Order: sequence, then structure tokens, then C-alpha cells
Amino acid sequence: MTTTTTGPLALPSGTDTGRPNPLGAFARPTAATGWRSWVSTVDHKRIGIMYGASALIFFVIGGIEALLIRLQLAQPDGVLLSADAYNQVYTMHGTTMVFLVVMPIGAAFMNYLIPLQIGARDVAFPRLNALSFWIFLGGGILLNSSWLLGGGADGGWFNYAPNNGVIYSPSRGIDFWNMGLIIAGIASLAGAINLIVTCLNMRAPGMKLFRMPVFTWMGLVTQFLLLFAIPVLTAAQFLLLFDRLFGARFFDVDAGADPLLWEHLFWIFGHPEVYIMVLPAFGVISEIIPVFSRKPLFGYPFMVFSGIAIGFMGWGVWAHHMFASGVGPLSVAAFSISTMFIAVPTGVKIFNWLATMWGGRLKFEAPLLYSVGLVTMFTIGGLSGVTHAVAASDTQQTDTYYIVAHFHYVLFGGALFGFVGGWYFWWPKVFGYKLGDKVGKVNFWILLVGFNLTFGPMHILGLQGMPRRTYTYRDGYGFNLWNFVSTIGAFTIATSFLIFFANILTSRRKAKASNLAMAADPWDARSLEWTIQSPTPAHNFDTSPTVHRLDDFWHRKYQENAEGKVVRIARSEDLVQPGDPTGVHLPSPSYWPLVIAVGLPFVGWGLIFNLWLCLVGGLLIVAGIYGWILEPADAPAAESGHHPDTGPGQPASDQAEAADGDRHDRDEGTESEEAALVD
Amino acid sequence: MSLARRAGLLGPALAVAATLAGCAKDAPQDTLEPEGRFANDLDNLINPIFAVAGVVFVVVLGGALFIALRFRSRNDEHFDDLPAQIHGNNVLEIGWTVVPAIILLAIGVFSVIAIFELNEEPPDDAVNVQVIGQQWWWEYRYDLNGDGTFDEIVTANDLVIPVGEEIDLEITARDVIHSWWAPKLNGKRDAVPNRTHPWKIQADEPGEYVGQCTEYCGLSHAEMRVKVVALERGEFDTWVEEQQTDAETFATDDTSEEAEGYRAFTGLLCNSCHLVEGVNDDQFSDEDLREFQRDVAGGPGTITDDELQASGHAPNLTHLMSRSTFAGAKFDLRRNTPYCRDLGVDWADEVDDVERCLDLGALEAWLRNPPAEKAMQAEPIPGRSPRRGMPNLELTEEQIDQLVAWLITLK
Amino acid sequence: MTDTTTNERLAAAEALEQRAGKEAAERSAVAGAYADDPAHDHHITNTGISNPKLAMWVFLGSECLLFGGLISTFLLYKNNNLAGGPTPHDVYDIELTSISSFVLLMSSLTMVLAVSAIQRGEQARMRLWLVSTALLGGTFIGGQAYEFQVFVKEGLGFTTNSAGSAFFALTGFHGVHVTIGIVMLLSTVILSAVGRIPRARAEAVEIVGLYWHFVDIVWVLIFTVVYLIP
Repeated sequence: MTTTTTGPLALPSGTDTGRPNPLGAFARPTAATGWRSWVSTVDHKRIGIMYGASALIFFVIGGIEALLIRLQLAQPDGVLLSADAYNQVYTMHGTTMVFLVVMPIGAAFMNYLIPLQIGARDVAFPRLNALSFWIFLGGGILLNSSWLLGGGADGGWFNYAPNNGVIYSPSRGIDFWNMGLIIAGIASLAGAINLIVTCLNMRAPGMKLFRMPVFTWMGLVTQFLLLFAIPVLTAAQFLLLFDRLFGARFFDVDAGADPLLWEHLFWIFGHPEVYIMVLPAFGVISEIIPVFSRKPLFGYPFMVFSGIAIGFMGWGVWAHHMFASGVGPLSVAAFSISTMFIAVPTGVKIFNWLATMWGGRLKFEAPLLYSVGLVTMFTIGGLSGVTHAVAASDTQQTDTYYIVAHFHYVLFGGALFGFVGGWYFWWPKVFGYKLGDKVGKVNFWILLVGFNLTFGPMHILGLQGMPRRTYTYRDGYGFNLWNFVSTIGAFTIATSFLIFFANILTSRRKAKASNLAMAADPWDARSLEWTIQSPTPAHNFDTSPTVHRLDDFWHRKYQENAEGKVVRIARSEDLVQPGDPTGVHLPSPSYWPLVIAVGLPFVGWGLIFNLWLCLVGGLLIVAGIYGWILEPADAPAAESGHHPDTGPGQPASDQAEAADGDRHDRDEGTESEEAALVD
Repeated sequence: MSLARRAGLLGPALAVAATLAGCAKDAPQDTLEPEGRFANDLDNLINPIFAVAGVVFVVVLGGALFIALRFRSRNDEHFDDLPAQIHGNNVLEIGWTVVPAIILLAIGVFSVIAIFELNEEPPDDAVNVQVIGQQWWWEYRYDLNGDGTFDEIVTANDLVIPVGEEIDLEITARDVIHSWWAPKLNGKRDAVPNRTHPWKIQADEPGEYVGQCTEYCGLSHAEMRVKVVALERGEFDTWVEEQQTDAETFATDDTSEEAEGYRAFTGLLCNSCHLVEGVNDDQFSDEDLREFQRDVAGGPGTITDDELQASGHAPNLTHLMSRSTFAGAKFDLRRNTPYCRDLGVDWADEVDDVERCLDLGALEAWLRNPPAEKAMQAEPIPGRSPRRGMPNLELTEEQIDQLVAWLITLK
Repeated sequence: MTDTTTNERLAAAEALEQRAGKEAAERSAVAGAYADDPAHDHHITNTGISNPKLAMWVFLGSECLLFGGLISTFLLYKNNNLAGGPTPHDVYDIELTSISSFVLLMSSLTMVLAVSAIQRGEQARMRLWLVSTALLGGTFIGGQAYEFQVFVKEGLGFTTNSAGSAFFALTGFHGVHVTIGIVMLLSTVILSAVGRIPRARAEAVEIVGLYWHFVDIVWVLIFTVVYLIP
């Protein structure tokens, strides 16, 4: 079993029989390798990899912005950045980290893993999936193009009205922010529809909802949160767009507008947004901890239900971001109570993770280190969160560095730590080699120390009265020491990530040199993605797996013997699928998602600079849609016997677009289901 | 050092640091050292909750630490010797759902009680001040006769109050959302245009309490500062009386430097933004101000006319020299030395004290080139954004000297 | 001799049957919910609803929140004409709007008829009802356009005051949704005309119908909240 012919980087998708293309430019692309294959891919795994790679690039940008902030604030009366420059840097740092880093990393994991964990061939709408990625990338590029085109947005990542209006923010930065995020929001929405339908509709036989891994469950809840939260933000952003570009009066103070309208709309999105960011990471460590504790996840139903509870309750707490906004004591009291209670399901998760480890056999390789890092760091952030819920005292805490500390502990110490652990865990499955563990451990410790040095002192700074979003502070306020320490910490974090990137490079080089194959199940894990070869074959499963219970794979490897002891009954090698793509027909690649996605930023630039650009963008979008509709459902594949494409089953319109790939495998699915029933 | 040790040291380290930080003398915005009744209430409310959080912190992180050490697998053989595959325990689940819920409910009850208590209105006879935020300074207007209009005293940057009494604040804004915060006296309250938010403060001791704007409001958000000056009742009453006197005017044949400065003020653009009662106040109702600004700017226009201030106001200067700060309290007007601080609101009464305590350099630098001293949008952006901030009037050094001489008369 | 021929024929018949069965199985496997036989419709997906149909339902869920945000904004600003000009209530012509609302409601009826037609395999009839739906929708849009220009003439434009901004944003977004729906309807008509929507693909039309009905329901909500409630 080699690593090259069936990896995501090598396998041709779609079969080329050399038939002439009847519609010329509209024929499906057939490139199997090289940049063209990436640009036209509809493979959820490649899309996941691209999300992850883009997120890392944006992470470097956002990280540089963070280092600039910390350099400016290392000393009182800093002179590195002017007030205007600082305001742009901190706004772009927050916006980039939230929308272009943490969310896409979650998308990377969810796109790559959800189909695998439910035993599917791909997502429900592969081309829509590609569209989501390219639209996201376009939005991110549009947002960051502001740096080259007049300056970044400078209203803060939540960009309150009326400061976000033209009068008070006359530069174009906020227009880039607005347009870039509307576009990125479209990507998230399309992705949410895709993954929800995938989870609900495309599970392998026997994969009932309550047999899905917790990661997939958290992913499903996250997608529902996205589905309902993004439109609210989009509505607010359109209102802002109308104000800024067309002179509407939504946030015009002189016209009697209520600035709190923006706050409410934004935070109704903004609070579910933080759960969107963290739930996938909760899912990641729910997979890692059992594997490295040699025990099942403690309290699976409670883990699922607490995730669902967080999803629901997250809609009822938004005004805790507005305790000082003058919403009135009744609202404040109500949201204070609801915020208290949302700590309950989160606490349940913390306890369940610890209980999983209790009595286990713990191996502290990098994935487990990061997972325990999440559990501990998120607890700290969660505790400061509970103190914020005390609304009266929150009027001392809000808008200070105490809040900055809180959200970095939950989002960086929480979500990001979990995601880095996930990278270490799934890297062998995705790329066919492991990241060096020794370096990984060094990576972890330096990150843990740096992280706590950076954000721990911010609790103190906040309680001592240092407001956030201030480009400088004065001597004599007691802020000097901890700001300096925090800056040291920030550079320590940067160092740890340099080590992480170096680890990737050296591990890859080592793997190429050694030419050893990576096992399908290197960690002795529990879920379906470990039942197929590493790196994942392009076709995922040779035959659709049949699932009989939760952690089905684990139970095929281990069983209780007569004495009640759990012993191994089969080797992973004997249970995994060999990676034989014969007879499998994959969704064909397509360029049209990219074409449509390129059009959107042009509409954005056009609205800012010159309406003719809108026309260019619009034409690209329309052309892309028609190309998408008119292209054949498949690259020609007459001999294989699978021919939905040329018959009446031809997809008719965008809306009715059938999933190209999954149809073909239902045969196999039903076959093995029948086989299983015979068992 | 192992995970265990490191995590274990972190907690106590932070706790020690926090305690030490709390004792820092130079922490004038420290919420942990309240000096006002309401800030005290908030502190008393949150301290036990910090303690509870601390306990949970120790339990959870200590637990994680213990687990990491206790159940670490010694070698590969041990790792492969599978432990009991426990799937869950309903009793535990219910336990760690209900117990935190009860604790949080208890905290919630205290939180709600505090919310309503702190929302109680101050007594009817409390000093009533309207706090108006605009880019990037605070205006304070007093309603002394209880008629609902805040026009008896109009001042800026320093909020002067009587000590030991509840002060009834009505917080609003003229342009974007700001937030008024004097940490040692109370939490913050947002200043939102088109809305008025009631708030209250009370200082326990005479003294000066500083704070900052705490809702991002643009360029100089970081330099939009708050200063509360708490005086003994008698001193406060005196201050109130003095604030209601007009500034002196100067005869046209007066050739003193102050008179030259007075003429410079009334002749230059300063007149269109700054009000000095007795000098240019007959044009200064809000509507009058706008009309006057239009006239000065040379032609009809609305308040969003590019040449004019977006907020339409700049600090009232009538009793400038009774304040300790200027330029949105970014700069000290009165040097921050113990001697000068002790002089209080009357620091500029004696010429010697003025010599000693006026930060002349700061004031001159401001007049010379305000945008260089504080980030503002002092020039309009045609078609998009009007002027927001004091422009560089390109004063000569002579004019600056004259203006300073005249400003010093505004006691 | 006869035996061999019979056997051959039998074998050939068997093979034919097998192939037919296999093709039928493939078709149903491949066409999934579009299969001719309704009994085969729902065994492909876990929920029994096809992927595209489920996707439309999910998408419409998100649309509820979009319109919810815009409706809330309108409710906040409906009486806010501090910047001058009339409020929407001052310029409404409820009779006219009632008529165009009725027209849109009727278009939902014709939509249902279109779906019913294609489910019976009646292509031409479906096209007739789809065109009717599009025409009725177009009439609604025409009515809206006329109504808007009257409002503007009477002093209420998009930028006049907050109420105007909120009104036009909400109804404008709805109008755009209706227009996109009309494009989808006409596209379906054209695709049907070139034979790409057989009876087996009835669900595609049903999905377009779902969207159309949603847009209609949103209008009922808007009409009530925006126009009728004082």
C-alpha cells in the first residue's frame, strides 16, 4: 500500500475517456495534478486543506498585527503607531482572527472530517462546497486589500454605529470591512446549508444521529448557528452599506436614528458567533482525549446534549455585551441570569473531559497536551466570563483589558489550542506523515507559557482600569509592567508558531526522505476516518461502511473477554479498507465555482471605487452561474455503467442540482447494508 | 518542568501578582480600590465571586493536574493495558449540572439585586449634571434650579461635585457612542447620541478621581479623559457661585496683552466654537450657535457643513482657569505637583500660583498646533466628513502670548 | 435444436430482465428522489427528503432570520420621520397594495398547479402555470414599482428619513427575492421546453415552488406588519 497513488495530492478525480468535449468551454476539467487540479477541485478534503492553509496565512497577517499592537503598548506613550494606524491595526487584527482564522480553521476540520466520520463519499453539494471556499478567500482578500487601497478598517471588529458611518469614518476602510464580511458571510451560509444536508442525509447505513462522533455533532450545531446568525449580521451590514454608499438613514443620528439598533443586530449575530468559533474545537478534543486516555468519551449523550443546549442558549444572551449600553435594568437582569446559566452546559463538558481522563491510561503526546491545554485555559476564560455575567460589576469590567483577557482565553486558549491539537492528531490521516512529536511538545510548552504571559496579566490591567482599544496609555497609572510582560509573551507566542511551521517543514522532509507508509490507524482511534488508508484516498471509502454502534471501529478492534477485561480481538490492518478505487465514480471537478467567486470581490471594489467594476463582477457571476448550470454533470464515463448524467436525470437548475457523486455510491451502500443485514 | 508543576504554579503566581498590583500606589483607575460608595458596592459584589471563581479554578486545574500525574501511562505496555471502559455516570452528570446551576443561581440572585439597587434614583435634591460626550472631550452642564434645563453652569473636562453626596448624572452624546467612566467612583455608562442614560456617582473623600472614555469613539478615544473633582460642600457652593459669573470684557482702547488676547479671541475663528459667557454668549443657544457658525464660516449651511464642527461645540472657556485639565483632559492645565493640587479649584487666583502651576508649555503647544498635540480630524474632508477637532489656526507667537494672557483672566 | 433456441431465448430474456432490473435499480439509485416510482422516492437519504429539497428548506430557515432582522428594523423606525418628510403610513394606498398582495397570493395557487401538472407528467400544462406564476409575480413587482414611485413623488424616498430607509430596505429585499424567483420560474420554463424537466424531475419544480411560497408567506407577514398594523 503506497502513499502516492491514492493520496489527496495525486489521485485523479473524474475519469477521462478522451471523448471530444461537446460543449467546448463548458466541459468539465480533467486535470488530476498540479495547480489546476486544486483550483477546480470539488473534493471536500482538498477544500478542507485549502481552508486550513488560507487560515494559516491569515493567521500570520493577524499575528503580525497583534505584534504591532504589543510593540506599541510595550511602553507608555508609545510612538511606533499613530492613533490612526493603531486603530486600523487593532480592528484588522480582531476582524482577521475571528473571520479569517478561527472560523476557517473550524471549516477546514469540519469539511475534511464530517463526511469521513459519517461514512460518506463527499458532502451533499461538492461544487457548492468549492464555491464556499473560493468566496471566503475572495472576501478575505477584499478585506485585506484595504491595506493597499487607502487603509484598513478602523472602527473596531464590532464596528459600532454611528462611528461606522461616513461622517465619523470617512476613509474607505470600513467599506472594505463591510463588503469583505458580507462576501465571507455568503461563504459561511452556503457551507452551513451544505454540511447540514450532508449530516442529516448522507450518513452511512447504521450511522444513526446518536452514533455520530461528538466532533460531527458539534459541527452540526455549529452549522445551524451559522445558518441563523450570519443572516442577521448580513442584514446589519446591508443597512450600513446603504447608509455609507447611498445616504440611507439607518444610523444617522441627526435623523433620529437609534445607534443601539446596530448593537443589537450585531450581537444577536456576535454571541452565537463565539460558539461557532469554539464548538468545533470542543469537538476536536472530544475525539482526541478518549484516544489518548484509552477510554471512551465520558457521558456521550450529555456531551451531545450540552452542545445542543449551548446552541440554543447562545441565542438568549447577546445583550451581555451591552450591559453598560443603557438598555435598562430589566433587560440587564434578564441577560445576566441567562448568561449565568449558559455556563452550565459548558461546565458539563469540562467535567466530562476530565472524567474521560480519570482512570485512563494517559499518553501526553502533542494532541493530548493541546487538549488539556484547552480544558484548562478555557476554564480560566469561562470563570472570568462568569464574573462578567454579574452585570453590575461588569460595568467596571466591560471595555477594559479584563474583557480582552477573557475572550483571548476562551478563543485562543480554547478554540485555537484545540485546533492545533487537532492538527497534530489528524495530520497523519490528511498528509500521510506525523508531525514530529518532540518538537510538538516544545511547541506546546512555549505556546502555553507565551500565551499565559500575554493574556494573564491583562486580567490585572483591566481590573486596574486600562480600557481596551486605546492606542497608548500614560505613565503613572500602574499599567507599565504588565503591558511589558504581555509584549514579551506575544513574541513568545510568535516563536512557538515559528516552531510549529518549522515542524511542518522538517516532518514533511523527513517523511519524504524515508518513504515509509503511514498506517491507516496510527493512534488506535475510534471513528470511521481511521478505517481507511492514510493519506485519505480521494474516494474516501471503497465501500460504504455499515455502523452498528457508537465507536463502531473501536468495538471491532476490542471486546470484553470472559473475565471482563477489554482485549484486542483484531488488528487495525485487518479491518481497514485497502483503498481500492475501482468502480467508484467521484464528483467531477469544475472551474465555475472559482469564476463566480472571483466576481464577488469585483462587485465589492466596484461599489467602493467605480461602478463599472461592479459590472465586471456581475458578468463573472452570471457567467459562472450559467457555466455551472450548463456544464455536463460529469466528465464522460460511458463504460463504467454509471450513467445518470446523459439521461433524464440531468440536473436542470442550480436549485435542483443533484449531488454529483453520492448518487453513484448508493448501490454500494445498499449492497453492504444488505450484506450487513444478512450478517 | 512538567505540565503539572507549571499549571500549579500559574494560579498562585497570578494571585500574588494581582494582590501586589492592587497595592500599587500609582493606580488611579483601579477598580479594586474603590473610593466611592457605588464602586464600593460593586467591589463588594464581585469579591466573593472572585473567591468562588478562585475555588473553581483550583478545583478544575488542580483536578486536571492530579489526573495528568496520577493516570499517566508509564510505558507502552501500560498504555496498551486498557482500563475499565466506563461510558458515563448519570448521577455524576446530574450532580455536575445541578450543583454549578445552583451556585450560578445564587450568584445570579445577588447580581439581580445589585442591578436594581444600583438603578435606584438619587434623591430629588441631588446635584444634577448632564454629561455630554463628543469627539474627544466631555462637557458637563448643571441644572441648579431644577427646571430641567442644564444651563446654569456649562463646563468641560473637570466634573466638580460635592463630596459625600449622590450625584445625579444624565449621560448622553452628540456624535458617536462614548462611555463615561470614573473607576473609583462607579462603573461605566455609555453615552449614546439620541439617548440619555441616568447614572450616579458618589465620592467618599475630597480629591480628584480620573477615568477615561471606554467606548471606542475614533481617533483620540485613548485621550478622552475624565476627571472628577470632589470638594467639601462649602467649597463646592463657592465654586458654583463663581462659575455663574461672566468673564470680564476689555475696552477697545485697552492695549494690555490680555486685551489683545481678548480681541484675538473674538476676531478669530475661536469665537465660532468656544463660548465665553459675557463675551459671546448672546449668540449661544444651540440654534444660535449654529447660525453664528454659519455666518463666521462665510455662508449658509447646515450643521454638517464641512467647515463646521460635527458636534457644533467646543469646550466652554468662561472659567477655564478653575480647571486642572484641558483638551479633553489629555493635558494638565495645572501642573500635577502636590502644591498645585492642594490649591484646588482656585489655583489660578494668585498670580504667583499661576506662574508656578500653569503648564504654560502645554497650553502654548496646543494653541500653536492642536492637531499635532492630539489626533483629530481638524480639517474637513469635502463631501464626506466635516471638521472634528480644533484646527491649526496658524497663530503667530505674539498671538499665542496674547491669547494665553487673556485665557489666564478666565478664572 | 428447439431446446437450444429456447434456452438461448430464455437466457437472452433473463439477461434482458436482469439488465432492465439493474438499470431500474441504477436509475432509482442514481435518480434518487427523482425516480419515476414514488415508492422508490425515499430510501436514498437518511431523512427521506432529497438533498436539494432539504437544502432549500434549510436555506429558507436562514432567510427567516434575514427578514426578521429587516422587519425588526422597520418596527423600530416605522414612525421615525424626524429628518422630515412623511412616514410610510402617511402615504400608503392600502387598496392598491391589497390588490397586489392578492395577485401574489394567487401566484402561489398557480405555482401549486404547476407542480401538480409536472407530477402528472403534463409538461405543457406545467409551463402554462409557471408562466402564469411568473406573470402574476411580475404584476406584483410592477405594482410595487408603481407604488414606490408614488411614494417618492409624495416625498418619501429611501434617504428621506429613517422610516423611509427601513420601509424601502425591507420591501426592496423582498422585491429582489420575488424577482430572483421569477428568473427561476422562467428558467424552469425554458429548461422544460428543451426537455430537461421530465416527470422524473418533478421535484426540481417542487423546490422552486417551496422558494416561491416562502416569498409569498414573507409578503403576507410584511403586508400585515408594515401596512396593516397602525
